Amino acid sequence: MRRRDFLRNLVITTGGVTLGGSLLAACGGSSTTTTVGGLAIGTPEQPIKLPVTTQAIADGLANETGVLEILNWADYVNPESIALFEKQFGVKVVESIYDEEGAAIAKLRNGTFKPDLIFGMSATGLAKLVSGDILQPLNKSYIPNFGNVISGLRNPYYDLESQYTVAYMIYGNGIGYRTDRIDRNAFTSGNGYDVLWDSQYKGKSGVLDSPRDTIAMAMFRAGNFDANTSDPAIIKQAGDDLIAMREATNPKVDILAYTELPAGNRDINFTWSGDLFTALQYLPEGVSPEVLGFWYPPKTITTNDFFCLTKNAKAPVLAHQLINFLTDTDNALLNRSYVGYQPALETITVDMLLKSGTIPESLVDALVTPERYEVALSQVTLDPEIDALWTDQWIAFTAG
Amino acid sequence: MIKSPRLWTGLAIPGTTWLITLFAIPFYAVACVAFGTIDPIFRDAAPQWNPLLWNLDQAQNILVSLTSGPLRGVFIRTVVYVISAMILSFVIGFPIAYFLARHAGKRKLLLLSLIIVPFWVNYLMRMLAWVNLLSPSGLFSRFMSMFGINYNWLDGSPTTVILGLVYGYIPFLILPLYATLERLDWRLIEAARDLGASSSEAFRLVTVPMSKAGLAAAGVLIALPMFGDYYTNDLLSRSPNTEMLGNQIDFYLNNSTQPQNGALLVLVMSLFLAIFMSFYLRSTNRFAKETVK
Repeated sequence: MRRRDFLRNLVITTGGVTLGGSLLAACGGSSTTTTVGGLAIGTPEQPIKLPVTTQAIADGLANETGVLEILNWADYVNPESIALFEKQFGVKVVESIYDEEGAAIAKLRNGTFKPDLIFGMSATGLAKLVSGDILQPLNKSYIPNFGNVISGLRNPYYDLESQYTVAYMIYGNGIGYRTDRIDRNAFTSGNGYDVLWDSQYKGKSGVLDSPRDTIAMAMFRAGNFDANTSDPAIIKQAGDDLIAMREATNPKVDILAYTELPAGNRDINFTWSGDLFTALQYLPEGVSPEVLGFWYPPKTITTNDFFCLTKNAKAPVLAHQLINFLTDTDNALLNRSYVGYQPALETITVDMLLKSGTIPESLVDALVTPERYEVALSQVTLDPEIDALWTDQWIAFTAG
Repeated sequence: MIKSPRLWTGLAIPGTTWLITLFAIPFYAVACVAFGTIDPIFRDAAPQWNPLLWNLDQAQNILVSLTSGPLRGVFIRTVVYVISAMILSFVIGFPIAYFLARHAGKRKLLLLSLIIVPFWVNYLMRMLAWVNLLSPSGLFSRFMSMFGINYNWLDGSPTTVILGLVYGYIPFLILPLYATLERLDWRLIEAARDLGASSSEAFRLVTVPMSKAGLAAAGVLIALPMFGDYYTNDLLSRSPNTEMLGNQIDFYLNNSTQPQNGALLVLVMSLFLAIFMSFYLRSTNRFAKETVK
């Protein structure tokens, strides 16, 4: 399973709240704890300072020699970047792959996975990892590039003071489309989401196989912007709206926008912004990158993942070094050229990405800008009873 | 003849151990997940190993959903798809098996190999190959468009999913059928013809009845995996309009916070498939008795 599967799984247990203002609030640092089903989590409104049960490694330790073990999603780091790191530090990096966050956490708990460094965990996963006493805090003295991280994510709501995490990639939810078949004005002239309900795209549309993302999208279309809502009427309405979409367009429900849009098999797809950058690699020969477009809704979910270090890491200094290496601007750009997703670094600006020639003008809208980030919505874990309401609507939609 | 009951008991131990280890215990574990709870922290299944404490509320919800809720349509669709695919498989597979057994002659081995060899390739790879061939710009679609047939095979149509099921499982139908037909005493058919039966009557009154055991075995062999199949729909459609029960099980177990619902659906499907198995066992038993007579 690839990165997209992770995103699908991530949002199954997370919901949406506004990020921008709350991230700034997080910088101030109130840390009232929210508990969901016994799990202490941070929310943008109530950021959390996670408990620390062990000390971070001391300053100034020498790098370990030998092997650094990492746990990662498939194709979620550039092998060229890893080769550079290995050469620079004279070590060998061994990568294990996970394909589902919950399963990975279970294997970390029972000792099947024993990595030094984990890539791509979500805020939900973090709460579980801390609850399971699997992580150790980071020593930022080894990560001088930490200052490159987007300022709001240097003190994120899910981990105040970034005790355990350093942000890795960032992305937002929106609509990918073929610019040669759909005019951009279709999204900006009215309710942009309505295009997904337009029967002229029957058999040529898709939505994310991600209950929380897709149901929230239907809510946003209806003007309800609480992506963590517990209101049964709003959840039911979103489910009914998705059924109406199904009857109008018979959409595909998967995470394949990154291959289907460039192949021309679909005209439109509700998806993650990062998928459009990955899609560039799947364009048939001779097809202009400008055929790919993305509509970034004015208010939508924007989220990120991160690195974290295991408590029993055998090479903790090297693990810190790899985090530092990948948060270096040039190395992050090299990494992005393979992964596709946007590094969560404020030193990598939209202008820089455009000048790099790797992103066509038509995909500028797929980039997470500071402005978009400021008004972004976030997702948090739901209570099991509320989560069941969302799942019921998803079943009603996907059961056909 | 050896009459020691201890010896026979001893000889039954490996089989019994195998059955307990690989069937009874896993099945009980599925039941414990189905009637268990969810870990509030990690949101994964918390099996309830004590049957006296099994929680039946969720089972009731799933049964309601299957009989009058959203899963009813999925269940009916799955049955319709599987039965359609089985009928089509028999229509395609029986003549092939018959030809191989009766008329292939020296080319029998070659033809059998030609049927089997493609299936050495991983199922996923074969389906992905079909996805490429059937895509609007794929070779097959372009070939069909030369004859004026412009059909989007991958737009989430039931036809594609049913054909995918047929393609995926048909060798498992052909091979046991071939094995049965090859063992037929063809002199009986010649006798039927000598006694005035037309070729179709000989086929209907002699060949088919004598192939019953093979037909039942082949039917069961393909029906069981088809009912649990989810990847054919995943790869060839992914439309809600073609969702099968296997897809719902996959969703509940892998992508939801309600894995117990997935386990419950597994139990329901197992009970349903037990009907197929009992039919198969009864028919083979009856056939064996008729043969002895």
